[in-house]
Amino acid sequence: MEYKARFRNAATAICLATISGIACADDTALDLELSASPRMYAEQVQSSSLRSSLLPANDEIVAQETTSATPAPPAAQFKSPWLTGRKTHQYLGLGTVLFAGLTMLAAPEDGCEKNCPSQSSPRQTSGTTHTRLARTTAALAAATVMSGLIVHWNDIHWEDPFTDPDKLHARLATAGALLMLYAVDKSAHSSVPTSHSGAAELGAAAMLVAIKLTW
Amino acid sequence: MQRKWIVAALLFVALSASSAYAVAEDDFIGWLLNFQRQKNIKPVVDKQYQEECSECHFAYQPGLLPAKSWEALLNAEALRRHFGVDAELENDTLKVIHDYAVDNAADKSWYKRSRKIAVATEQGPAPLRITELRYISRKHRDIPEKMIKGNPGVKSRSYCDKCHTQAAKGIYDADTVDIPNYPNWNGWFSK
Repeated sequence: MEYKARFRNAATAICLATISGIACADDTALDLELSASPRMYAEQVQSSSLRSSLLPANDEIVAQETTSATPAPPAAQFKSPWLTGRKTHQYLGLGTVLFAGLTMLAAPEDGCEKNCPSQSSPRQTSGTTHTRLARTTAALAAATVMSGLIVHWNDIHWEDPFTDPDKLHARLATAGALLMLYAVDKSAHSSVPTSHSGAAELGAAAMLVAIKLTW
Repeated sequence: MQRKWIVAALLFVALSASSAYAVAEDDFIGWLLNFQRQKNIKPVVDKQYQEECSECHFAYQPGLLPAKSWEALLNAEALRRHFGVDAELENDTLKVIHDYAVDNAADKSWYKRSRKIAVATEQGPAPLRITELRYISRKHRDIPEKMIKGNPGVKSRSYCDKCHTQAAKGIYDADTVDIPNYPNWNGWFSK
């Protein structure tokens, strides 16, 4: 038993480390050498007298103006806030997938969906690690969908095609959250072993794909 | 129990394998297994494209327009009337820039914003101005004119990098926006 617990903890640690690696890659992915492009661009546009006349602007008045009042790009000074509505939505989504994985790992070893022996004691539908993690996952999934509706309401439009990435993301993530909620609800209201892992795993997979679509 | 470990092992292998795809985005499998962020626009990595374009204006990433737009914009005749200005290039230079733009156009990119632009411009004529793309104009429609045209630090939406502080890296997230002279415009919910 102790061996199993250690094995499970090790697996969890590996998963967390992998996810941490992805988070680290996120920060460094686009930090590419751009042939010093921002600096070069700033230097060149400040010195070029042709800049305003060659600018592909929509408004003619802009093209006719001189550029003397235009300051250098503010890239160096600005620091993105560590917590915003969009980042909260992102963290909630990643948290949902993480907790879904932990819930799966903490599932009891009943292993019987067919021909189950009669149980001597009532089935536990609360108080176990698995049920706690499952409820947390469901709550995170619901919070992810709600926060997405709030902060990304302006990214989804009827006139956009069916294959628009944001539309696909929203559809898949909502379906995934509903499947997870259904699985938790189904299991919580059953006094006998009930098959709910399929719906939960499908929901988690849908959410994972939804994240990938807009990652 | 055994099935759980198999699923967990497969997940781990998939995640580990993804690290090999640091820059892969040539095909669907490459995109699927690439866990690096591809949410924005692929940054410009071609030195000649960067230098030639930025002589006059911000070097717009090719992923901001579909290939048919770059085909229409980057040819000798069109460049003689490049938005009202003669921006003619030597043939060799034009070929490099044309090929780079077309090869990395929105409809050939797996980056999310490029895909959004690509699916929205599949039908209809080739858009020639980035600022007139439905997706771009919709994203900016809530910003008052005084913050753009009336703002001496911005003047036009064409100057992407005036407000998008990471524009040169292809990052156009709202979280990285800093409008000159309006430092507190972005609130919690407006992001």
